[in-house]
Order: sequence, then structure tokens, then C-alpha cells
Amino acid sequence: MAGQAQENSSLSTVVADVAGGVALALDGEGGSYALSALLAQRDTVALAAIRVLGADVLAPYALNGGAVRGGSDAPDSQVVRRALAAYPPGADASDVSLWSYRGLVEASRAFLPPGGEDWPVEPQAGDTWVRTDPWPKLAHRASQLAALSLPGLAPGLAAGLAARTDDLARGFVRAVRRRDWLQAAGLGRWLVRMPDVPDTLGLEAGLVFVHRMSGGDPRVSLHASAARCFPGGSR
Amino acid sequence: MATELTAPVETAALAAAVEGLLDSAEPEGIYRDTRECGGGLLLAALLLISPPTPRAPKTDAR
Repeated sequence: MAGQAQENSSLSTVVADVAGGVALALDGEGGSYALSALLAQRDTVALAAIRVLGADVLAPYALNGGAVRGGSDAPDSQVVRRALAAYPPGADASDVSLWSYRGLVEASRAFLPPGGEDWPVEPQAGDTWVRTDPWPKLAHRASQLAALSLPGLAPGLAAGLAARTDDLARGFVRAVRRRDWLQAAGLGRWLVRMPDVPDTLGLEAGLVFVHRMSGGDPRVSLHASAARCFPGGSR
Repeated sequence: MATELTAPVETAALAAAVEGLLDSAEPEGIYRDTRECGGGLLLAALLLISPPTPRAPKTDAR
């Protein structure tokens, strides 16, 4: 039990470090981005952090709209391949885990250089919950999958969530009122890409507020930066 | 040798930690509906300002 808690703690620390680096890259700070340069140690914890953040570790490449320089043996390609191989979703994996894995595979295919070696096949992930979940649960799950709101990833999921824009907007307000800044920021990322967000939500100001209130949480910063970098709605 | 023996255990523990972080439960929190809170406050206020229960006037027994 103590060992598990220690694993969680060290993993959370590395996840926060990597998220902070991605947020800086999205904000245009810290020079050119390289995921492999963010990882202080190429060990199993660093690979696990990539798996937790999913497609977001490649978000700066989506911003540049181009692939990583180098061939399929570029350091970033190698490290993502190792993360995908080390932490595949298990047989009893949740839908969130499956979707997150899919997102990382799709992002790798889109943003990393094509090579001789194929990327893993995306696992099937259930999407019934997008239509049937009550709005608080939908908002929670959508926020966990905010990395999939990057342009071009999971278009079916994005369309399903867009059909429930009002529910996500309700979830955003609820998360803010509960002071759940991470959930609010994740939902904000989805909402900035949706065309029919009600103006009364005050999304732009809300995201600034959430970012400030989070006290510099790197994962919230990452969501806030991504929301600024990848707008898609008609605000 | 010790590293070889503990590596799979560490990876399994990390895999569980990854799943836990990916699909973490919502933090516990108390979410109150403003209208319900307003109704509760109104009820409390009405109780506080309500006049005392009327009592029968005292009569001298003698």
C-alpha cells in the first residue's frame, strides 16, 4: 500500500513536470520543443507520465503543424513508442484509458515522422457514454479526455460531445463552483472548439479565472495554454 | 539480481498508478444548489422572526 502511494506520488511529480514543459512550449517559451528533452530520466516513470498525459505530450507539434524533424528513429518517436509498448490498456481498462491510448497513437501518427515501423493499432473504445451519461458524469469524463480535443484527433468523439455542448457548459460551471480547476480547464478546452457555446457562459474570462485560481497547477496551465492555442468555435 | 526481480513489480505498480491517474474519481465536494440554499435561508429566517406561540393567560387560582 505504501509502495503504491509512493509510485503515485513520484508519477504525479513527473506528470506535473512534463505538463509544465508542454505548457511553456505552447506559450512559446523555453525554445524549441522536444519531448525527449523534457524527460530528465528515461525510465519507466517517465514513460508512464507520457501515457498519463497522452496526446498532450505532442501538442506543441500540432501547433507547428509539422512533424518532428528526423526519421522514425528520432528521440521523440522512440520514447513515445516505448511508452505505448510499456503501458497498453489492460483487458479491464476503462473507456477513458482506451480513448487516451487511442489519442496518443493518433497523435503519434499525425505529428511524428512516418517510419518503417508501424504504430500500434488503436483499440476499440466505447462511446455510448457520450450519449447516455448524465451531464455531471459526462463532464467528468470529457475533462479526463481533454487531450483528444487537439485538432484532427478523435473526430467522432468531438462530434458526440459537440452535440452535448450545453451539458459540458453546465459541467464547466459546476466544476468552477466546486473549485475543481483541473476539470474546469479540461472542459474549457473542449468548449473553445465548439461552435454553439452560449455567450452567457463567459468562457474566455472563466478560463483565465480558472488558471489563476489553480495556483499554477501545471496540468491546468497546460489545458489553459492549449485552449488559447487551439480555438475552433465561433466566439 | 534484486533489480531484475523488482522491475516487473514496479512496472505493475506503475501501470496501476497510470490507470488511477487516467480514470481518477471526481474529488469529493459538496455541491449546493443556490435555489435550495435560498429556500433554506428563507425558512430559517421565517422561523426566527415568527411571533412566539400564544399562551393562555394566567389566572389566579385563589
